Amino acid sequence: MAETILVVDDDLDILELLKMNLEPEGYDVRTASDGRQAVESASESPPDLILLDVMMPHKNGYQVIEELKDIEETKTVPVILLTARGQTEDKVQGLDAGADDYITKPFDLREVTARVKAVLGRTQPIKYINPLMRAMGSGFNEAGVQQLAGHLQAAADIQKKLLPEQAPSIQGFDIGILLQSSMSVSGDFYDFIPLSETRIGIVLGDVKGNGIPAALLMVMIRTALRLLCREAEDPAVILKRINDLVVRDTEATLFATMIYGVMDTVTSTFTYSNGGHCYPLRRKSTGMIDVLKTGNMLVGAFEEATFRSGTCLLSSGDIVVFYTDGITETYAGDSSVSNKSQRASVNSEEVNAHQSPTPADMFYGQDRLATCVSKNATLSASELCEAIVTDLALFSGSTQPNDDRALVVIKRDT
Amino acid sequence: MNFDTTTGEKNIPILHVEGKILGNAADVFREKMEQQLQTAQGKLVVDLMNVPLIDSSALGAIVLTLKSCQRSGGKLVLLSPQKAVREVLEVTQLATVIEIHDTEESASAALM
Repeated sequence: MAETILVVDDDLDILELLKMNLEPEGYDVRTASDGRQAVESASESPPDLILLDVMMPHKNGYQVIEELKDIEETKTVPVILLTARGQTEDKVQGLDAGADDYITKPFDLREVTARVKAVLGRTQPIKYINPLMRAMGSGFNEAGVQQLAGHLQAAADIQKKLLPEQAPSIQGFDIGILLQSSMSVSGDFYDFIPLSETRIGIVLGDVKGNGIPAALLMVMIRTALRLLCREAEDPAVILKRINDLVVRDTEATLFATMIYGVMDTVTSTFTYSNGGHCYPLRRKSTGMIDVLKTGNMLVGAFEEATFRSGTCLLSSGDIVVFYTDGITETYAGDSSVSNKSQRASVNSEEVNAHQSPTPADMFYGQDRLATCVSKNATLSASELCEAIVTDLALFSGSTQPNDDRALVVIKRDT
Repeated sequence: MNFDTTTGEKNIPILHVEGKILGNAADVFREKMEQQLQTAQGKLVVDLMNVPLIDSSALGAIVLTLKSCQRSGGKLVLLSPQKAVREVLEVTQLATVIEIHDTEESASAALM
């Protein structure tokens, strides 16, 4: 059955243009020319998606969203806002009000089609999470999806409870952790699993993808890891099993990067396997900095992926920093980039590729992280986490992360 | 981020991307690749010569497109990624599952 899109704009030319563009893509298109009509039309027969102008007579776009969120039939209908170019506050207000995405005017029709497809795809998450959906008892139906959407907050709460709030205390080591989420549910995670008196499993990872499917995959990986780490010793074997599980049981749109390793407190060695994740940093007590460079393929993306393990020795005073790319991909603030270049922007068409800033200008990056770790090497592990966050705020000019951030710092006592 | 499509030997489409691919732009990037794959029997060269920088979202777009492409028996190859992009492909070991070519000729030839 064709999906129905309700297009709302007081400019009749725009209505016509969008209709002409979307119908050949196979959508049924209905139109409304003001906010009041939009609410009437949507509540009479809920569409699959609403393309909604902000500035309109009778009711503006935000009011329309608010009213639709109060009506049972329409509260889960996804909304894409059409906003005037450059009105950042509009976008923020719209997303706060509950819009799923926005498109700035004047728009490129191809972008409209792409965003419509993306948003419609996102609202049908059940196909990505078959095994988990079955476990939760929801069928492959609309009611199941709506129930899931309504439970987003619950998912976020559960997810937070699963992540350890405090770092474990391990004889001879000082451990610091940090998690900052950019959205209500986070793709970043870490966990500590006691394996014996002297051995502890440590994992840090990042599920790629958004919203509930990604959050559920995280829960699935965490649970699988907790079971598997008692069955197998070698971290590479465990990652391979998780890889195969995720490849088999989920659709193509999800995968993760992660490091799992076992810290042996007697030998002070860390044996790990890295599935496509950023290389952890190691700072030796001598001041030398290197990375733990044994790497493998992303986890859950390819059936043929193979995994190897590596081992590193932690001498007295050595520090290892595990982090997710939300740390190193923190965008430079205006003051950091100065006149050299523009700030990272999604709307980058105006940026000439040849004058583009280098990655070193745009992102916080591994080198800055290494410098920050070195400068603060005498601090405790949790103080070091805080120092890194402070440095990120200085670099980006904001305390708000642009992506999820997770950190695990392990420091061997001197 | 701008796109342009040309046709190489044997009508193999080449998607030329220009500019950084960051954040939400990755969705558009993926959509462009999928569109081209649909119209070209699952064969596509993605030219990254003028892409100075990608982030993990863009990487995700490449992985997902590559996966769906492989499932449907198609093939996707990358052309001339710059140093920073190449490094990202190597850390994630994507370079081991996706072919990287340095000339349009060899990229197109790989798809014939």
